[in-house]
Amino acid sequence: MLREEELKTFVEGTTRYFEVAAQQPATIGSPYLLEGETAMHDYTGMINVSGKREGVVYFTAPRAMLTVLLMKMQESDFSHESMRDLVGEVANTISGNARRDFGHDFVISVPSVFAGEKPQIPQPPGARSFVIPIHWRSHSAKLVVSLT
Amino acid sequence: MQSSGADRVRRLLTAAAGALLAALMALVLIVGFRLATRIRANVALLQRASLLETYPSALSQQLTALRERLGTLEYTGGVHQELADSVAGFDRNLAALERRPGVDRPVLRAAGRLWKAYTPVLAPVLAYSGEPYSDTDFGSSLSVSGKIYYTQVRRAELFAQSSAPALHRRLAALSAALQKRTSSAASRLRLLLSVGVLAVLLLGAAAAYLQLARSRGERAARAAEEQTRDILHTVREGLFLLDADYRIGTVWSQALTHLFGREDFAGLSFEELLRDKVSPATLATATKYIKLLWGERAHENLMKSINPLGQLEVILDNGRGGKETHYLQFNFHRVVGPQGVKHVLCTVADITSNVMLARELHEAQESAHSQIDMMVSMLHSDPLQVGGFLDTAAAGLKHVNAILKEPARSHAEFSRKLTGLARELHSIKGEASALNLMSIAQRVHHLEDMVEELKGKSELTGNDFLPVVLKLDELLAHLRAVREVILRLSTLKDGPPSPDGTLSSPILRLRGAERASGAEELAATLQGLARKLAEDHGKPFTLSLEGLEAVPVAYLPTVKDCLIQMLRNAAVHGIEPDAVRRAGSKSATGLVRVQFRRLESGCELVFEDDGAGLSPETLKEAAVRKQLLTEEQAAELDNRSALALIFKPGFSTRTEVSMDAGRGTGMDVVAKAVYALGGRIGVSTHPGRFTRFKIALPAPSQTAVA
Repeated sequence: MLREEELKTFVEGTTRYFEVAAQQPATIGSPYLLEGETAMHDYTGMINVSGKREGVVYFTAPRAMLTVLLMKMQESDFSHESMRDLVGEVANTISGNARRDFGHDFVISVPSVFAGEKPQIPQPPGARSFVIPIHWRSHSAKLVVSLT
Repeated sequence: MQSSGADRVRRLLTAAAGALLAALMALVLIVGFRLATRIRANVALLQRASLLETYPSALSQQLTALRERLGTLEYTGGVHQELADSVAGFDRNLAALERRPGVDRPVLRAAGRLWKAYTPVLAPVLAYSGEPYSDTDFGSSLSVSGKIYYTQVRRAELFAQSSAPALHRRLAALSAALQKRTSSAASRLRLLLSVGVLAVLLLGAAAAYLQLARSRGERAARAAEEQTRDILHTVREGLFLLDADYRIGTVWSQALTHLFGREDFAGLSFEELLRDKVSPATLATATKYIKLLWGERAHENLMKSINPLGQLEVILDNGRGGKETHYLQFNFHRVVGPQGVKHVLCTVADITSNVMLARELHEAQESAHSQIDMMVSMLHSDPLQVGGFLDTAAAGLKHVNAILKEPARSHAEFSRKLTGLARELHSIKGEASALNLMSIAQRVHHLEDMVEELKGKSELTGNDFLPVVLKLDELLAHLRAVREVILRLSTLKDGPPSPDGTLSSPILRLRGAERASGAEELAATLQGLARKLAEDHGKPFTLSLEGLEAVPVAYLPTVKDCLIQMLRNAAVHGIEPDAVRRAGSKSATGLVRVQFRRLESGCELVFEDDGAGLSPETLKEAAVRKQLLTEEQAAELDNRSALALIFKPGFSTRTEVSMDAGRGTGMDVVAKAVYALGGRIGVSTHPGRFTRFKIALPAPSQTAVA
């Protein structure tokens, strides 16, 4: 069973990105379990986890939120590539936080990025997906943790 | 310890031997110096004695030469002067010998006396100063005085020739005596020097032995030091000594650096070591414990049994910029010397993996126990009834998840979720308890505890709900496990399950056809719950059920939910303990009566217990205590409104929460379920006699009627 500390590490990795990159902290909404429906927004940055836990962790955000985030970061390029890079960076920060806290217990892959196509995220057997809404300004994204 | 004692004895013996030899050497040197001084003095005396020894014959020869020169009329001045020098020399040397100690006095005195006899014959010779020759035309001849002088010389010559042997013997004896004394002193000096050389050799040997022993000791000490260093570098436990000021000594094991992520341990106090790692309360307890260890009377085994640091949870840097929770085990051993406790040896081990393993083992055991309990309770249950509950519980938990999923950003939005969550969970727990599925009931109860705790928070955020969603996941996993168990039991009882894994295997479907009706199932569930509640709370009561067969199928779940909650409420709040009932002239066994009736206007469910009844004042006090009402509002409340308080979410007259009551959710669940069907609920009571709930439900729609 996933532990609270583990879940918090992923949440902190996400909220910390907003705090550092946009100087405006993100808050988290009410977490829940994913039941069949998709949690994907326009852009998704995902890391695969193996070792002590197996599965995926991904950050998925709508284009509008990423646009405002880029603006806050003084970026002027709002292209598709910039959006992809941005969710990749968030996934990378989540990965760094997890490496810091879990060390060698977790083997974490290089982030992979999806855009628009709403891919089928591989679900490890027996794992439930925890959805943690990430609120920033008036926008909402999601952090999904699906680990056994 | 033994080798150290032998070393000390050896060192002491060596030092004593060295001191003895040094003293001997000093003695040899002092005595040798004195002997050498004496020999030097004796040699000087001997020289003088030897010189004196030559004088008698020299005098004789000088007198003979003087006489012959006088006879041949030769110049005599030179010989006369030599004679005078010899006499003066004899006197001077004799006087010198007489002044010095260590000379054979009788011999010297005898020689002196003999020498004194020379004086009368020599004095006129020496005193002569005239011209011994007179020159005439016929040649030279002795003058008158010269003739006298000649005669005196001749007499002195004869005396000297006769006395010289005696004087020489005396002087020779004197020389021999001195020679003997000198030889004796020289022999002693030789002996002494031999002793000295021997002593030096011994001293050298002792020094060599000492050096050898010392270098051997140093080699052993270096080897021991190296071994100690190897041990301290290799041992996986943190090791250090605490002094009387509770400070760490200068030597510690390398593991301590890894455990605490620092290197400045020397002189660090125990309090400083733990200050940022543990709570202030734990730190205070640990400090007190360390102080106790220094007490002379403290019994080590007893102290070990009360060690507050046997499993200490600490937050440590993980070396990658993050923090990690570790579990450290501190052990303390007193190092006692002749003067009492010298140090306290502390060992620190990282037992995180052990604790985790024990925790996992405990969880596995709990899981195994709960599975066994579950299987046992399954054997006494109707699988279909439990399966039905699992479907209901899954639907309930789906609703719980839906409540969690509702968007929330503010405290108010988060807070609103709590009431809905509590109601849903309480309902599931009630039914799980009724079916005696305690592993499920307890898990739901824990989840309720979490929700209850959140109700007390002044500022709720999404972070607060993380443990709730994790617990929900665990509960869902447990429900899956229960379902699995039922499937297996069904297989055991009735053959393999259907390919789709549902409970409706052909045999079960057959059994389902034969099984009891919904009303009978409900009655069995309620009777089972009543028996369990009576046993759990030590309040025997009888449950009388009437008209349940008239409950429309569409109402069965709601009626079941309501009756379960009201039955738990009656067992906890209504039925009095045996002693109270007897004092109130009541039957020792309580009575709970349930009656369902179909009326023209719909249905009526009456639930009544012959217990303590409801006291409006008690209800008001509880509402004030729960901060649902102010004291002023409570005072203005009439009895009817006071009774209605029991349907308010979070209202309970109990101060402690148990599996069956105390959260103030049960009657809220009943009321909401009744309202959801468009019904009404009323309550009437007589303190000390009864409480009666009357639920009016509308007539069910035609399609839903059984």
